[in-house]
Amino acid sequence: MASITFKNVNKRYAGGTLAVDNLNLSIADKEFVVLLGPSGCGKSTTLNMLAGLEEVTEGELRFDKELVNHTPPHRRDVAMVFQSYALYPHKSVYENIAFSLRMRNYKAQEIDRRVRDAAARLEIAHLLDRRPSQLSGGQRQRVALGRAMVRRPAVFLMDEPLSNLDAALRVSMRAEIKELHRTMATTFVYVTHDQAEALTLADRIVVMRHGVVQQVGTPDEIYERPANTFVASFLGSPPINYLDGTIAAADGGMQFQRGEVRLTFAPHAAERLAASAGRQVRLGIRSEDVDGRSQPPRGASLSGQVTSVLPVGSDQFLGMRVEGAEMFFRVGKDVRHAEGETIALTVDVNRLHVFDAESGANLIW
Amino acid sequence: MSEAASTSCVVRSGQPDYRRRARLARFGRAVSIFLGSLVLLAYVLAPVAWLVSSSLQTEKEIVSVPPHWIPEEPTARNFQAIFSAGEEQVTYETRKTTDASSGGYIPPTAKNLLPAMRNSFLVATIVVILNLLVGTPAAYAMSKIRYWGRDASMYFLLMTRVVPDIALVVPFFLVIRKLGLLDSIWSLVITYLAVTVPFTVFILLQYFDGLPDELDKAARVDGCSRFQALTKVFLPLAMPSLVAVVLFAFLTSWNEFLFALMFTQTVHSQTLPILVASFTSDFTISFSFINAAGVVAIVPPIIVAVVFERHIVSGLTAGAVKG
Repeated sequence: MASITFKNVNKRYAGGTLAVDNLNLSIADKEFVVLLGPSGCGKSTTLNMLAGLEEVTEGELRFDKELVNHTPPHRRDVAMVFQSYALYPHKSVYENIAFSLRMRNYKAQEIDRRVRDAAARLEIAHLLDRRPSQLSGGQRQRVALGRAMVRRPAVFLMDEPLSNLDAALRVSMRAEIKELHRTMATTFVYVTHDQAEALTLADRIVVMRHGVVQQVGTPDEIYERPANTFVASFLGSPPINYLDGTIAAADGGMQFQRGEVRLTFAPHAAERLAASAGRQVRLGIRSEDVDGRSQPPRGASLSGQVTSVLPVGSDQFLGMRVEGAEMFFRVGKDVRHAEGETIALTVDVNRLHVFDAESGANLIW
Repeated sequence: MSEAASTSCVVRSGQPDYRRRARLARFGRAVSIFLGSLVLLAYVLAPVAWLVSSSLQTEKEIVSVPPHWIPEEPTARNFQAIFSAGEEQVTYETRKTTDASSGGYIPPTAKNLLPAMRNSFLVATIVVILNLLVGTPAAYAMSKIRYWGRDASMYFLLMTRVVPDIALVVPFFLVIRKLGLLDSIWSLVITYLAVTVPFTVFILLQYFDGLPDELDKAARVDGCSRFQALTKVFLPLAMPSLVAVVLFAFLTSWNEFLFALMFTQTVHSQTLPILVASFTSDFTISFSFINAAGVVAIVPPIIVAVVFERHIVSGLTAGAVKG
């Protein structure tokens, strides 16, 4: 049970690389926070600083009110699950789980009770005598979770714990981790580069890039109101489509214009863009924010040539060339399209994203 | 084509029988490996066999042509001489019996054999222990802790191995004399450490580098200090390398000649190689006695190897269960 505060935290490695740049972040007690970003964005470094495995170069890191910058990992009340599981190869599953309790001099009885409890909950009770080498990837992952669980730590850290599992297992383990967070009622900090994991698990997501936090928010906020083009591109599958163009006042509202394309903004967006007429912008359209079934109305039509049709079971992905830009949309299966055909899609103008052409910052939210 | 061949597998006429060829190739491989290992075995074991055999022969039999690989009149006299060498008084009257020509010559330093063996054993054991005490934390630190100058220290360590021992003799001698350690086994301990520790660190470093960093992190988050992470997680996993280190350090110290020759003078500190070398005097040499001493000299290393052999095996399997 602990809240975590980063205040102006910097991490500079011996080589001079700035891995984390002026991080300010408050994590509430019992919150599930996901650090999301591509590799090398500083998310793992942040986690290691939390664990005490990396020193904080500058700034303050607090657990509750206590400054822990220099507290060694074994004196912090944290547990950690690693991508490679990092089980002790020479110890049995039982001893792997019991190890942290033994290091803290728990009584043998208490250790036994806790280990068996955790094993029962993770459904690995029948594996307690085995060595890690005799387990499958999923089982090893459970042992790693058990090893972190038995301690009942104040902060639970996870470093891409599902990345080494196959796709099906990953989805079911996600649900289990969510359940674990609910029952353990403790602070979770979870690092991943997988947007789906972040969106399903997090109370709040922290998107990072080059050591700098890009946006902090709930999954919905991050997805619906991305702060910039980086965040917008990082979430969503297929990724968001961009079209460069200009803002113009037309038809009594604000419009995006590029060649033949005319898209009229919804009132709330028009209000924000009122002063931006003539500005160069980058328009973002999420792949699912179009409709191919109805005849598009004026100011919400996007037409182009179909370049590819990819059925994906539930619906189909449509590759389209619009004004020279390649775009990818997710449309229903009920309309058949052929490659080379020219079609018009209805764009949901309420959900358009407008970014500054140069800085990439969101101009609407 | 025979009927048997055409029914056993699909062989069309004119095509070679690949199955038979594969079987022949496998057989040929097995035979050549077997013969090769026989040659290797003979190459390695023949000198040892001759050492043991000749230690049981009289001087006369040893020099006979052709040599007797199996002694015709085996005798334990050479070994008796080792353990009673101190008691045999050579006087004017008995000098003939110890004459080389009589086959009963015992070198005057023979009585120092057992003390020398004790010195050798002490030096080797201390060197092994200190190697482990110094080498393992050093290797762990260099492998798992990022600190300023880590790469430099690694190169520095490796650099010490490219300096030939002979170049170090004089500087070492001066240092040892300054320390007042001449003719003490500690002079050997210090110099052998200088030679073996870099190698020990290097071997263990290789092994620790092969173990994932996350294992170290997991141990520390689980409640280990750096030192406990080393003793509770890394050392048990490094068993095979530790055994290699023990054997290497022990044998290096046991066999070392040059430094021992320089820094030792009397029975207080002389080690086995020095003593055995002294059996070859200016005027005469007793092969039978030297060979008996040789047999005695190889016993401790063999015991060490046999004791640790089991750990090599168990250590290897422990290493194989990498997570």
